[in-house]
Amino acid sequence: MITYIARRLLFLPIVLIGVTLLVFVAMSFLSPYQLVSAYIKSPEELKNQSLDDLVRKYGLDQPVHVRYVSWVKNLLKGDLGYSVSANMSVTEAVAKRFPATIELALFAIIPVVLGGIWLGTISAKHYNRPLDHVTRTFAIIGWSLPDFVFGLILLMIFYGVLGWFPPGRLSMWADTVVLTGDFVRYTGLNTVDSLLNGRPDIFWDSVRHLIAPVITLSYLWWAYLLRITRSSMLEVMNKDYVRTARAKGLTEKVVVNRHVRRNAMIPVATVSGSMVLGLLGGVVIVETVFDYKGIGLLTATGAQQLDYTLILGTTLFYGMLLVLINLVVDVLYAVIDPRVRLE
Amino acid sequence: MKTKLFSLLIVLLALSLSVSVFAAPFDPETFVYVGGAGGPQTLDPASSYDTASGEVIHQIYDNLFEYVDGELDNIGPMLATEVPTVANGLMSEDGRTIRVPIRQGVKFHSGATLTAEDVRYSFLRGMLADPAGGPMWMFFEPLLGVQTMRSVIEMAGGSGDFAAIDEVDPTILRKAYDLVAATIEVDGNDIVFHLVEPYPPFINILAKGGSWSAIICKDWMVANGDWDGNPDTWAKWYDLAIEDMTLYDHANGTGPFKLETWDKSGAQVLFSRFDEYWQGPASLKSVVIKNIPELATRQLMLRVGDADAIYVGQEDLPQVRSMPDVTVIDGLPQVTNTVLFYSFTIPVEGNEDLVGSGKLDGNGIPSDFFADVNVRKAFNYSFDYEAFLQEVALGAGVTPVGPIPQSLPYVNTEQEYYSNNPAKAAEYFKKAFDGELWEKGFEVGIVYNTGNNTRKTALEILEYNVESINPKFKVNVIGLEWATVLDKLRSASLPVFVMGWVMDFPDTHNFAVPFMHSTGTFAGYCGQGLIDLAKVEFDGLVEAGIKATDPVEREKIYFELQKRYVDLAVGMPFMEATTHRVMRDWVKGFIYSPAYSAQYDYYTIFKEQK
Repeated sequence: MITYIARRLLFLPIVLIGVTLLVFVAMSFLSPYQLVSAYIKSPEELKNQSLDDLVRKYGLDQPVHVRYVSWVKNLLKGDLGYSVSANMSVTEAVAKRFPATIELALFAIIPVVLGGIWLGTISAKHYNRPLDHVTRTFAIIGWSLPDFVFGLILLMIFYGVLGWFPPGRLSMWADTVVLTGDFVRYTGLNTVDSLLNGRPDIFWDSVRHLIAPVITLSYLWWAYLLRITRSSMLEVMNKDYVRTARAKGLTEKVVVNRHVRRNAMIPVATVSGSMVLGLLGGVVIVETVFDYKGIGLLTATGAQQLDYTLILGTTLFYGMLLVLINLVVDVLYAVIDPRVRLE
Repeated sequence: MKTKLFSLLIVLLALSLSVSVFAAPFDPETFVYVGGAGGPQTLDPASSYDTASGEVIHQIYDNLFEYVDGELDNIGPMLATEVPTVANGLMSEDGRTIRVPIRQGVKFHSGATLTAEDVRYSFLRGMLADPAGGPMWMFFEPLLGVQTMRSVIEMAGGSGDFAAIDEVDPTILRKAYDLVAATIEVDGNDIVFHLVEPYPPFINILAKGGSWSAIICKDWMVANGDWDGNPDTWAKWYDLAIEDMTLYDHANGTGPFKLETWDKSGAQVLFSRFDEYWQGPASLKSVVIKNIPELATRQLMLRVGDADAIYVGQEDLPQVRSMPDVTVIDGLPQVTNTVLFYSFTIPVEGNEDLVGSGKLDGNGIPSDFFADVNVRKAFNYSFDYEAFLQEVALGAGVTPVGPIPQSLPYVNTEQEYYSNNPAKAAEYFKKAFDGELWEKGFEVGIVYNTGNNTRKTALEILEYNVESINPKFKVNVIGLEWATVLDKLRSASLPVFVMGWVMDFPDTHNFAVPFMHSTGTFAGYCGQGLIDLAKVEFDGLVEAGIKATDPVEREKIYFELQKRYVDLAVGMPFMEATTHRVMRDWVKGFIYSPAYSAQYDYYTIFKEQK
């Protein structure tokens, strides 16, 4: 197992170099004058200033390989460059936005995974019966409904009408305390930091802000996980060893929980891995609708504004995240299915 | 188990409801503005040149002068004690020496007291730093007759073609400093500006609304690592990246609000009231400026009362007009002009997507297509100005009568202008290229920046009308990303494009130069043909206009410039847009000024429930 993990870790730098090269080559198709638009926001800034001066100032007239080498050198020093769209260094931007995304992912992951597997199991157990139809309809609606529509509906009802679950990460009063008071930032996760600072009011406020985006994400991912779990369960239910288990006289609950569900979990684990990556990578639409300033919104804004230093930085970050999460998923395979361990 | 879970859910919901009820009661001392077009780029007055940055700087800093009640024609003193005029003896007869007495006893947020040296330092530091693409040209032009510090170095005997400032000989740098320093002097409690030529809008450049002329505290700057006034070390702070400038995310002004924090990751700025403000403390204790791109979220915040005012685009105004307890103030005049520009010399090679064959053969246009005044006039007569204003811009503006917005002085509002007239358009198309154009036809790509649907519709109106005149005429409306537009502007390769221009200071000169002078921004984008034309038709008048101090003489000059621009159909100005504000009914004391880049001046605002 350790050798396996070490081998996977060795791939990490190769993947990262590949990622940086790919993005840089794509960027090289843009002219310096196109890239300069990342630095100037309006024609105001063109007043009495030539584009050539701006290109020279931002070093965009250098050949692509010179810019790449310079960027890699800085990277090795831990400097990912400055993001004009985020108004801070890329490292700082990722460090500031990632906790928000982690917090959202942490709150979403448990209801998403447990709910999805539970619903998928129920659906499989009641195959072609009314409960199966109900859960499948639920899944189809969830999968078909655009997340921005569902998110906006939730926002309108639970914020616009009821005033329960506001957008953003914190209410204005709580934001003021966190940003200007003696509030100490330990993790960047509002729920955790508020408890560590002894502020249950801020804790509850941050939970209120998480509920609507978590429900939105949960519903969308439930639909996906439900379908995977259901089909995987149905496939396993027809296996010989399940028939044997039933023939041995085991109760249906034991058969499902011990023999069927465990074996049906391998595809679910794969999907869950990519789902975690999706959540940690940031969910752009949900973050936009709920004004949840996470890493997805950061990257999307950077891409819209051609902020290539940010795009490179976050792509690199995603690359690392992807490799690490794939590693975790592979280890989980081994835990779920001993045959993987033997191989 | 299920009962317990259900009970827990009920408790959570009840708690949620109670928190929501008690968490955000009406707070008369806190104002929340939610924008949607992006946050500030920098808080440094020397580099700030966008409206979002200006919004923040406006609340923190004061200027020497201000527009009384926001009115452009009523300038009063602010950190100065008098407005210099020839009559009061503070301006010399020739308009080149301007003395400004500085107000005493004004405190900075840091506790320091304002001095004349602070004022001098504010301008010197900005000019010497001169960030690329920044606003400092507004001081270089009146004080030294150039546009950049690079040009001052050339004046001092150096080469302006340096890659980094440390390549320049230190003795040249010292001479360059001396040239700049000589333009602004301290004389007791007064500041004396020495202008290279008379420059009527100079006082406007120094007035509130211009973030570039905000007054900063020298001692505080030095304590925070900025230039200390040493004539031999200024180059260390020259043209730094905006994030490396001292005031990038710090602030210390004399304005009514102190910067508490600029939360860049949360896209919000928090201010608190400065209780020692020299005009008396503001009504509002705290102000929050947030940025939320999603309109639906902003609208909900306004409805719930979490936002006191929000940004809503013109096209979305109908959505908020019917909202209860919301006030929409529209029709606010802006000093801006949106223009269709023609390129007089279009590169043909590599530009086939816009100019087709590059010949007058019905499948493209030649390089000098728009150099023919008949073509330009025909296009100008092919646009339905009135339909655009009413149906597309929803009445939010007026049709221009030339390149200078009508809200500025010295604009002849009686100037005969173009209207939608297919017969006249056909007449000029027939005259163009000695009739060859009418016989053979043409095909041209006209460009807008993707995402701006108002401009897209304007071009579609033009496309429809031009193509209706002669079936051999083909106009293709093409959307390009802003990045690509910039790329093509540099090489003046856009045959026809739309761009807007917003004033920096309320003077006709601020529009005359970019639109008509041969060194102006748009001459550079419209090819050598326009540069040559401008040298003959406009340059002399534009230069005379800014030097003239007699209003009658200025009016005569600018009327003539306007007439020539319209007669020659250099471009097609088609929209002087107005603006609007959307706020809750409880917001009172709002003052609008077209000179402010800020949406709101929070000093005058207070909140009062019915």
